[in-house]
Amino acid sequence: MLFSRRLMLGLAMVGTMAGALAVPAKAEGPTEVDLFFPVPVDGKLARDMGTLIKEFNETHPAIKATAVYTGSYDDTLIKTRAAIKAGKPPAAVIMSANFLLDMQIENELTNLDALIKADGTTKEQFLGQFFPALHGNAVINRSVYGVPFHNSTPLLYINADKAKEAGLDPSKPPQTWAELTDWAKKLTKREGDKVTQWGIAIPCAYDYCGWMMETLTMSNGGRYYNEEFGGEVYYDTPSMLGALTWWNDLIHKHKVHTPGATPGPAVSTSFISGNAAMMMLSTGSLTYVRDNAKFNYKVAFIPRNVRNAVPIGGASLIMPAGLDADKQKAAWTLIKWMTSPEKSGWWSRATGYFAPNMATYKTPEMVEFLGKNPDAKTAVEQLDVAKPWFATYKTVPVRKNLEDEVMLVLNGKKQPKEALAAAQKAADETLKPYNAETSLKLP
Amino acid sequence: MSLAEPAALPVATSAAPRLHLLKRFTSRFKASLPAYLLLLPSLVFLALFTYGAMGRVLIDALYQRATPKAPVRFVGLENISAVLADPAFAGAVVNNLIYAFGTAVPSIALALLFALALSRTHAVTSALRAALFLPVLIPMVAASALFLFIFLPNVGLLDYYIGRLLPVLPNWLGDGDIALYAIMVITVWKNAGYYMLFFLAGLQAVPEDVMEAAHLDGAGPYRRLRHIILPELKPTFLFVTVIATLNAVTQVDHVFVMTQGGPSNATNLVLFYIYQQAVEHYDIGKASAATLLTLAVLMALTALSFRTLANREGGP
Repeated sequence: MLFSRRLMLGLAMVGTMAGALAVPAKAEGPTEVDLFFPVPVDGKLARDMGTLIKEFNETHPAIKATAVYTGSYDDTLIKTRAAIKAGKPPAAVIMSANFLLDMQIENELTNLDALIKADGTTKEQFLGQFFPALHGNAVINRSVYGVPFHNSTPLLYINADKAKEAGLDPSKPPQTWAELTDWAKKLTKREGDKVTQWGIAIPCAYDYCGWMMETLTMSNGGRYYNEEFGGEVYYDTPSMLGALTWWNDLIHKHKVHTPGATPGPAVSTSFISGNAAMMMLSTGSLTYVRDNAKFNYKVAFIPRNVRNAVPIGGASLIMPAGLDADKQKAAWTLIKWMTSPEKSGWWSRATGYFAPNMATYKTPEMVEFLGKNPDAKTAVEQLDVAKPWFATYKTVPVRKNLEDEVMLVLNGKKQPKEALAAAQKAADETLKPYNAETSLKLP
Repeated sequence: MSLAEPAALPVATSAAPRLHLLKRFTSRFKASLPAYLLLLPSLVFLALFTYGAMGRVLIDALYQRATPKAPVRFVGLENISAVLADPAFAGAVVNNLIYAFGTAVPSIALALLFALALSRTHAVTSALRAALFLPVLIPMVAASALFLFIFLPNVGLLDYYIGRLLPVLPNWLGDGDIALYAIMVITVWKNAGYYMLFFLAGLQAVPEDVMEAAHLDGAGPYRRLRHIILPELKPTFLFVTVIATLNAVTQVDHVFVMTQGGPSNATNLVLFYIYQQAVEHYDIGKASAATLLTLAVLMALTALSFRTLANREGGP
């Protein structure tokens, strides 16, 4: 009851607020648009977003944009859906890139093709501005539904001082799983049975865990899901089995990785405090590490077992379904402005995410910034081998089907093989209704 | 909830017995009109935000879509049976039972202990009472964020202090065997001071003369506690138990902030399960059905407890 009361209250509030905003919009004044934005990393982003929107409003007198802070990626999805249900959707939302497919299946997104065409550009020209690795999460059934805004890839962070101490050369970071295992062994310090310094830490909490599993599986030659169709995931496969077995071995066989499931913030704190000598984490944490590490660090590609490959992360700008034409036009102007090379670069330097617009890296500000901070280049270089982030029907539950089993393995409760078989079974069950109306709906 | 509402409206009884039925009704209505008018503002808000929402949940619980694009259709009790058949729901119920028992018993025991130790009012006890009450004033979300750092494996405050004593440092929130207990510690820490207030109030009601008489008769502290104080505190116990049980079901802020129900559903509680169904699975039908089930159990529990309470108080 508590939940439903909260939901109704939330809906009512969103309704009234949207209503209050909608009334003056009908007057002669500027078109008012709301932008929902999440803050997935730290509080400074909210201030930066305020600066960005202020500048937009000053340069676009016909539009009055308001940035509405909506919590985490997951919260932003909830609030957007509540606003859509109340009939007053926000004009634009910064949405986690892997929620787009699920929203499109639920008919909650505006197809952007018509707006692109009205500008006199083709879809290919429009998408051509962005790194090819980002297209997969923005295009569904050959229609554009999202515009990449800030993106990331996973990186290997190395404490260079500790590496030197252990007789390793940080300028030649490990490139394969075998080398990484070797490094981790050399970087683990023990007093009797007790570990005082861990070789490596890889995060596993809901959301991060699925992303890391996709990372390891890809580096092992595999795929997490069917990129062309939202009804299939590939959990019970040799490539994922190899990935999970290696992760499990790091903990239980080699004993060089913190045991159990460790959330992202605990991993970065552990790295910053010198308790873990290496970690795998998003580029989104790079600014945090740069500001807080009291030692020399080094970032590198995620090492491979079969091939170099990583998933992208981050968010795209979307427009919910059910907007009137005025708002659509205003929101489109806002979206194009925010993803332009200059603004994209400014946002990238403020946050640590890389800029999705390729032209950004030719702007003088960005060239200068990369000259000063060469570590920001690694994520961009790794984009050559990046692929889309998993997105399926009911992305979150399907992801959790895997994560719950992976956590059991990391905690020593299950063996990788049986865990992945169980995850596959659970995910197939979650995906069943979608398959029933698509792949298994036969004439 | 419904307990806070007036039991019955005043009804006119002075009307002549053989009046026309309609007339009788009108005069009755006229007599009770002021009462209705006075109640109107609260009724409007109750209808909007409590009964309206409950009615909506009841309706939503009866509908479901077969496939993502299909329209919702009436399915009767199918949602409820789907929830009951869901192993995740069963897991959440078991977790919630462990959680309710494991938080209610220690926090009530601690609260009683604190209250007995601090029942006399002077400067020292007042300061200690304030200190013990402090956690109640901290919002659960803020407290959870603090404990997130305390529980950090290897580098957190807890591991920093007790790390030397343990052979292997536990991953407090990442190990499925420990996580639920770590969560329970926070609840006990947060609630014990609150329940202490009720016991302090209850102790004021223990008759002074009976205590003195017992003292003169040579009853030691243990016998006074066992035969006078505890029996006098029975209604307080019952009340606090009900509050603690309700809290165990309705307060899941720390689960939301700290573990999201993980690892592997080890800290998933019923209310969080409902949240997951509604938000992550986007399955309003199942979420509503689980809400109805929870609501029914809570109401039954409350009604039962308060009836027992009323019986005890009404007795000689």
